[in-house]
Amino acid sequence: MENLSAIQYVMMSFVSLKLLSLVAAGTLCGIYIGAIPGLSVTMAVSILISFTFSWDLNPALALMIGIWTGGVYGGSRMSILLNIPGAPAAVATGFDGYPLAKLGEAGQAIGLSTTASVIGGVIGVVAFAFAAPVISEYSLMFAPRDYLLLAIMGILLVGSLSGESLAKGIFAGALGVLLSMVGMDNFTGQGRFTFGNVGLMSGIHFVAIMIGIFGVSEVMVQLRDLHIEPIKQDVSRIIPSWRLLFKHLYLIIKCSLIGIGIGALPGAGGDIAALLAYGHARRSVKHPTRPFGEGAYEGLIAPETANNACIGGTSIPMLTLGIPGDAVTAVIIGALYIHGLKPGPMLMIETPHLLWFIVGCMLLANVFLLIFGLTGIRAFAKMVEVRKGLLMPIIVIISIVGAYAINNSIYDIYWMLGFGIVGYFMKQYGFQVAPVILGVILGPLMETGYRQAMMDQQNNLLGFLAQFFVNPLTLALTLSIVFMILGQTQLWAKLRGKFSRKIS
Amino acid sequence: MRKMKWLYGVVALLTVCFLASAQAEDFPAKDLTGYIQWGAGGATDNVARAVTPYVEKVLGKQVILQNKPGATGAVAVQWVHNQPSDGYTLLYGAENPLLYRVLDISQLEYKDFYPIALIARNVGVVICNVDQPWKHVNELFADAKKNPGQIKMGSTGPGGLTNVAGAMFKAINGVTFNPIVFPGEGPVITAMLGGHVQWSTVGLASAREHIRAGRLRALALVSDTSVAGLENVPLITSASADYKKFLPWGPFYGVFVKKDTPDAVKKALVDAYRKGLNDPKAQEFIKNFGSVFMGISGAEAEKFLNRWQSVTTWLLDDAKEVKFSPAKFGIPKP
Repeated sequence: MENLSAIQYVMMSFVSLKLLSLVAAGTLCGIYIGAIPGLSVTMAVSILISFTFSWDLNPALALMIGIWTGGVYGGSRMSILLNIPGAPAAVATGFDGYPLAKLGEAGQAIGLSTTASVIGGVIGVVAFAFAAPVISEYSLMFAPRDYLLLAIMGILLVGSLSGESLAKGIFAGALGVLLSMVGMDNFTGQGRFTFGNVGLMSGIHFVAIMIGIFGVSEVMVQLRDLHIEPIKQDVSRIIPSWRLLFKHLYLIIKCSLIGIGIGALPGAGGDIAALLAYGHARRSVKHPTRPFGEGAYEGLIAPETANNACIGGTSIPMLTLGIPGDAVTAVIIGALYIHGLKPGPMLMIETPHLLWFIVGCMLLANVFLLIFGLTGIRAFAKMVEVRKGLLMPIIVIISIVGAYAINNSIYDIYWMLGFGIVGYFMKQYGFQVAPVILGVILGPLMETGYRQAMMDQQNNLLGFLAQFFVNPLTLALTLSIVFMILGQTQLWAKLRGKFSRKIS
Repeated sequence: MRKMKWLYGVVALLTVCFLASAQAEDFPAKDLTGYIQWGAGGATDNVARAVTPYVEKVLGKQVILQNKPGATGAVAVQWVHNQPSDGYTLLYGAENPLLYRVLDISQLEYKDFYPIALIARNVGVVICNVDQPWKHVNELFADAKKNPGQIKMGSTGPGGLTNVAGAMFKAINGVTFNPIVFPGEGPVITAMLGGHVQWSTVGLASAREHIRAGRLRALALVSDTSVAGLENVPLITSASADYKKFLPWGPFYGVFVKKDTPDAVKKALVDAYRKGLNDPKAQEFIKNFGSVFMGISGAEAEKFLNRWQSVTTWLLDDAKEVKFSPAKFGIPKP
């Protein structure tokens, strides 16, 4: 009897025309909001709260979930087509997505990212529906030291993203970490690198850096090469073949699990999940379709699967504990309050149908994602063929709007343009810009984790180091980092060679 | 068509007359904008978005809400202060501006604004993970006396609720802890649920549901009066009667306009917020949110703000967490 009602709640949004169309409208809007850099899902959802205030809870949630699902996916489009991530979670998508567009495969790339997103999204929802209580308990086990280790794991990716010179990559990564430190220090209230300026107290918003250093710098590069004709896009085959998907099924499942796991951690979200998944693909896939960074399908599938699986993951602490996993869930928790519910550990016990209703909406949103994502690709892919002299100024305008929208602040526009120029010169001198963003995203996670872990041991260095070996979870993370580093060394290759020879 | 033109003329004339009179008494004549000093999804944001629609009903105009976070809210305070003093720009703020001068964040604070309404106040609650042995705040303090500076306290950083409460406990009971800083109350509670910190003092709004579910134990309310639904939680005054001089104390949420706004406009806004906040649905939200309704404005609100500032800044001064002594700004001792 109880199961029957669960299914009824899951199906609720499928059978009601009103809810169905709200999810559909939300997903469609979400894709376009997500595609524009600076316009974020968080922003859209918080505006919706005022807008849906007088509605019932269910239609309001249906619309929000649609926007959320669409928005997380939408970020990938601009990343692939123009190398401007629509959202931080789409940064990793551009690593291999943009090279694909340059090869004339933008259509296939969008098709593949859509399918990967939907599969990841559905796996995430299934985990959310059936394993929420277990996963939320596991996510609480992560201590500050474990967040530090996760951040280190992510920052190791600098090695793969350095391009021609590792030293230049490390420099770019360190620059990112430095930029992330600007502003008021949460621990002491002290301003760092603010030079006494109140405007700098709140730091430099990392989305402004992201739009500038990826978007505006790319525009400048393109304008310099105005004489080079845009590449003709092949849009004959946009839906990926079953064979291609089946071949990568194992990778898709692994990256979905990364997305769910990272999403369920209250201190880490889709951006970090996508970066870690990309790093994982880079290490684990031995024979990619093309070398990574030059248009490997695997490098596109991994982050796209992970960031959409993250939606299910982030919903887990939100519903089971009332703890937001990221900014979007924080706003949704606010919406639940405003609609008279009490988010917290009792929510699942007192209103269990809410879980099933949300699961239903999420599944439905993924269905619409597949439909909207796969239609209109041709037009989108052709966008890259538009004359650069026309396209590039439009991109600059979109970037400015996006930068202003972050905080309604004119300073973010200046930062964005400034970092555009910095990014251009970095590219000229063979520095990759991706490590900068990696540093900006992971820097705070690393710093907070380190300082909290140090405080936990009252600044005793031995105690701090011992932490990494006492707890089984932490030990597992420490060992995997050790293997990641060793795996790149000559010594390891030699040992492997010996080992495999012995077996054969 | 000619008839229509005539009609337009009349409408235009009426509008002009209406607007002319509106400027004098019928505030508001256009939509208002409210700037929230904290980001989307935070407590200030939730309160602002939940109660404002009831005020809009009374005003007959929209209050367009925008988040303008940054520098502990100082960016929004500066922004609103830069707008004309016509009452069309509102500041939705929490307690933070009262500490800006002693923490050297900004020279502006609530004395440069007029309190239209203090909406609600949150009550601090001392909580610990249920795996910890303490059942009453006295047991926690006794343990802390035995192990000074050892027990791990979740903190939200300098000037935050946790640290001010910690300073109170140090001032009255002489107890010290090992504070571990997190970027907000949510992360403190998460770390506590995972056993990574042992105890903390947070706003009841964030902790209430975890207490109700039996995952966190409430050791004391930082209040001298009980809160509905939590009658069996001890009051901090049961640890020492000396706490009375600090109370009532806790984070609060309010709406402000610039000090030099015309009096008629101030009055119109005060009346609208009073009516809107008294809507039963707004009241229900405030109760569900785990906060105490305030609904005060003008001189009454200013009295509360002054006392709050005096208590908090001097406690932080004792804890050596201020950049400038409150004495420098003429803030009296409590």
